[in-house]
Amino acid sequence: MKKTIILALACAFLLTGLGFGQVQKPADIKYPPLTYTPPDPAAFRTAFANGMRGFIQEDHTLPLFTIAAHINFGGLYLPKDKQGLEALMGGALIQGGTKAKEGTAIQERLDFLGGSLGFNVAERTATLTLSVLSKDLDEGLAMFFDVLMNPEFREGPLNLVKVRAIQQLRQANDQPSGVLSREYEKLLYGDHPLTWQAVKKNYDAVTPADLKAVHDQYFFPKNIILSAAGDFAKADLKAKVDKVVSAWKNKDLKLPSLSKTFPQPEPGVYFIQMPTNQGYINIGHLGPEDTNPDYYAVQVMNFILGGGSFSSRITSKVRSTEGLSYNQGSRFSYRWGFPGTFSGYVQTKSSTVGYAISLILNEFNRIRKEPVSDAELATAINYYLESFANSFESASGTMSSFANLEMTGKPMDYYKTYRDKIKAVTKAKVQEVAVKYVHPDKAVIMIVGDWDPCNKGGDKWPGPLDKLGKIHRISLADPMTGEIGK
Amino acid sequence: MKRTLTALIALVAIASWLAAADLKLDVKEHVLSNGMKLLLIPKPGVPRVVCHIYFKVGSINERPGITGLAHIHEHMMFKGTKTVGVSDFAKDQAIDQQIDAVMDKIYREKYWRRDGGDKAKLAQWQKEFDDLVKAEKAYIVKDELDNLYANNGGTGVNASTGGENTGYYVTMPSNKVELQMFIESDRMMNAYFREFYSEKDVIMEERRLSENRPGFFFSEQVNAAFYAASGYHWDTVGWMDDLQKVTKADLIEFHNKYYVPNNAVAIYVGDFDPQALAVMAEKYFGRIPRGPDIEPLRTAEPPQYGEKRMYAESTAPTSLQMMFHAVPAGHPDAAPLQVLASILGGGGGGMRGGFGPDDGEIGQRGGPGFGGGGTGRLNKILVQEKQLAVSVSASSRAQWYVGAFQFSATPRQDKNVTPEDLEKEIWLEIEKVKKDGVTPDELQKAKNRFEAQFIRSLSSSTGLAGSIGRAELNRGWRSIMTDLEDLKKVTSDDIKRVSAKIFVKDNSLTAINRRASGR
Repeated sequence: MKKTIILALACAFLLTGLGFGQVQKPADIKYPPLTYTPPDPAAFRTAFANGMRGFIQEDHTLPLFTIAAHINFGGLYLPKDKQGLEALMGGALIQGGTKAKEGTAIQERLDFLGGSLGFNVAERTATLTLSVLSKDLDEGLAMFFDVLMNPEFREGPLNLVKVRAIQQLRQANDQPSGVLSREYEKLLYGDHPLTWQAVKKNYDAVTPADLKAVHDQYFFPKNIILSAAGDFAKADLKAKVDKVVSAWKNKDLKLPSLSKTFPQPEPGVYFIQMPTNQGYINIGHLGPEDTNPDYYAVQVMNFILGGGSFSSRITSKVRSTEGLSYNQGSRFSYRWGFPGTFSGYVQTKSSTVGYAISLILNEFNRIRKEPVSDAELATAINYYLESFANSFESASGTMSSFANLEMTGKPMDYYKTYRDKIKAVTKAKVQEVAVKYVHPDKAVIMIVGDWDPCNKGGDKWPGPLDKLGKIHRISLADPMTGEIGK
Repeated sequence: MKRTLTALIALVAIASWLAAADLKLDVKEHVLSNGMKLLLIPKPGVPRVVCHIYFKVGSINERPGITGLAHIHEHMMFKGTKTVGVSDFAKDQAIDQQIDAVMDKIYREKYWRRDGGDKAKLAQWQKEFDDLVKAEKAYIVKDELDNLYANNGGTGVNASTGGENTGYYVTMPSNKVELQMFIESDRMMNAYFREFYSEKDVIMEERRLSENRPGFFFSEQVNAAFYAASGYHWDTVGWMDDLQKVTKADLIEFHNKYYVPNNAVAIYVGDFDPQALAVMAEKYFGRIPRGPDIEPLRTAEPPQYGEKRMYAESTAPTSLQMMFHAVPAGHPDAAPLQVLASILGGGGGGMRGGFGPDDGEIGQRGGPGFGGGGTGRLNKILVQEKQLAVSVSASSRAQWYVGAFQFSATPRQDKNVTPEDLEKEIWLEIEKVKKDGVTPDELQKAKNRFEAQFIRSLSSSTGLAGSIGRAELNRGWRSIMTDLEDLKKVTSDDIKRVSAKIFVKDNSLTAINRRASGR
């Protein structure tokens, strides 16, 4: 059925309040003021039965319902000989079925309803997410909690998950970008749960009983935060959730103690041989945690250094001016409870590997030595302030962000105070955090590429690569066995 | 110069209801006098506006010699105009023209002569070129377009080029959409392609990045073998030879032909007043003169008249691909094929378990997602029951001028299954469909999934802008709804009839890759 409305508008109305002068340059545009108040997590926080927490928002724009359970569980909590178990759980929680239903029956029914159910296990957070049409809320919710509370991890489906896991393992050394990010972290964090990799025998050894034991240990109401949004009445949803979880017993959460001591790798060049026509490069070291009070100044500093796309120095110099690469920049990556990593990165043809590295190191040094310009600071701050509302575009995304704040123990006024903290960053503070968190002298330079042409260099930067520091050649382990090859 | 708007602005508001879900999609249309179309979808709430512009041009509009040009042009649109990205246009232009003249001599020497040219001459001209590039820097305001957007809270500043269309994207604060209109209209009418030669280097690096992905060369060759004659024969990124040799003159000709308002549509989704935006669009986009009409694609794919087979060794996993020429979007056979792809290879779209980053955290251990699963017929039979495949999928791609139905499968190497074994199994399933069709339950499941997917697609402003904008350029934006209605009408007999037509060996390409070292 279609309905057509023709809206004819008189010019007089159109001219009201609108400037018709054709501006000659963007600076002449006059913008109306805009104020925006972010949503307050307290308005959405909901306490469920048995100590389960959650963030819920009614959103009646579309007949949809999304709910996620954020569980404080991840691969970091497993001992070395149980690596890979979390990844298999990622596949087998749903496919392995529940006490009442086979996994295939659950999948078939959800597919028939046009719904989706996914489970994802990360370092310290596992997330089960359901999306269904709101007319199917009750049936979807029942399946969601059945999978969350009563997984059976049947052996047949578990074996199929293992087959796929092992297939992925075979390909683990094929992608230069994947090899670089894995080996860079191994170098910076050393032998630590953050970098342990499962091998085939780990996957082979996992049994349904192992998965059930881990599920018993970590899946209980107090260790779960829900986030939900969609076309429902909040009180109804709360009553439904309470009814299901009221009988779910809590446990004592025992988390392993994890070392926060990491090795200091020797600065220099770490080279991994692959027959590619580009070098894939990371330059850097460990970085701060995102709970550090300097976080906001680091964000602004990194925007100027290499995080702000074409507004950043590294992209402007390495890509836009020199044409050396398509993808380049710098990033501070953060992880819950541990130092993150800092890296300058670029992928460039073998003959310009040395030159691109030298340009990035120049920018590391420059941001430490000279104050940034007023215009650079203004652009970085304006970007964060003006784009702030982006974080709240979807109701389910906002609820999930709030759940994440609570899970990681960040202050609930994080978003409320965010803009003021960004606004407070000064040129002096940018330089201070550059000196504190960017250390070209301590950086490792990791390159995945073809040694001979990379080492030879080109006109603008002839090799050898040892001009950048001592060369360490890294041999990759066979991902199936973990043994170092030739 | 001021321009007074005297015309009456008419916004045509079209609300289309989806019967089943009682949903409406409220799109306000406005056509400027130069033929440019505006589609406005107000969505009150967070004060942001997704702003997309699509041009009806992509790599299928290229020809041998200028493959990759649509994408090069998209990159060059970020290099400024006669007003943006430059401090003194007259002086910049004088140097830029000298740069082009020197580069023209270099290209003729290097690429027109079979011996690669006189090295001494080339070195001398290269030095001239380097000096001129250095001199031009005095007048270039680096990356001003990106800085303008960043300074005003523009996010997701990007563009993409496909076979059939090219899109330019930014999301702005609600009070700053005017900046987007200034910048986008300015680069349509005042584009100036400085820094062309260094940007070609960037694009060659972009191509190399793809080349280093296992399986890229194989898939590029499979595509080239499948599409023999039409502009779908080459990848959007283009052949490396053409990236090296394409000229500034090629670029300008391309821009003038395709970047005209009558070949474009602008879409806005977000928190705004549609009347105010329409007036603003008249002011900025309305000043661009209409261009000549553009001829649709001439060369279609000729019938194949024989089975094609390809074998390769590469670092990509051992796998099988079977491709069949099918119908373009809008053809009555497109809907049955899409339903069939969902029944055979679909399901479990959201069932991906696995291992990824924590919400809101970037730090992660690199890890695979291997939830797999899925309730499609092929997955049930080949992965779960017979345990011959690690994964199997079917897809139907109805493009603007051509169509393809594709099967992909990865064999269980631990059970010594070969791609050829899977090929036989898939043919068995195809023959079953030709003979018996599909079950009522399978049919209903596919239809429910399409409808739910459609409703979900309305929740993402960016996704909605993309599907509405692209659809508008081909068969009108309403086709996203009429296509759904067509899917809901498909019967098992339709599927049997279309399968009998499409799934014949003379219409197919079978490609087998075996994993090995090398590229």
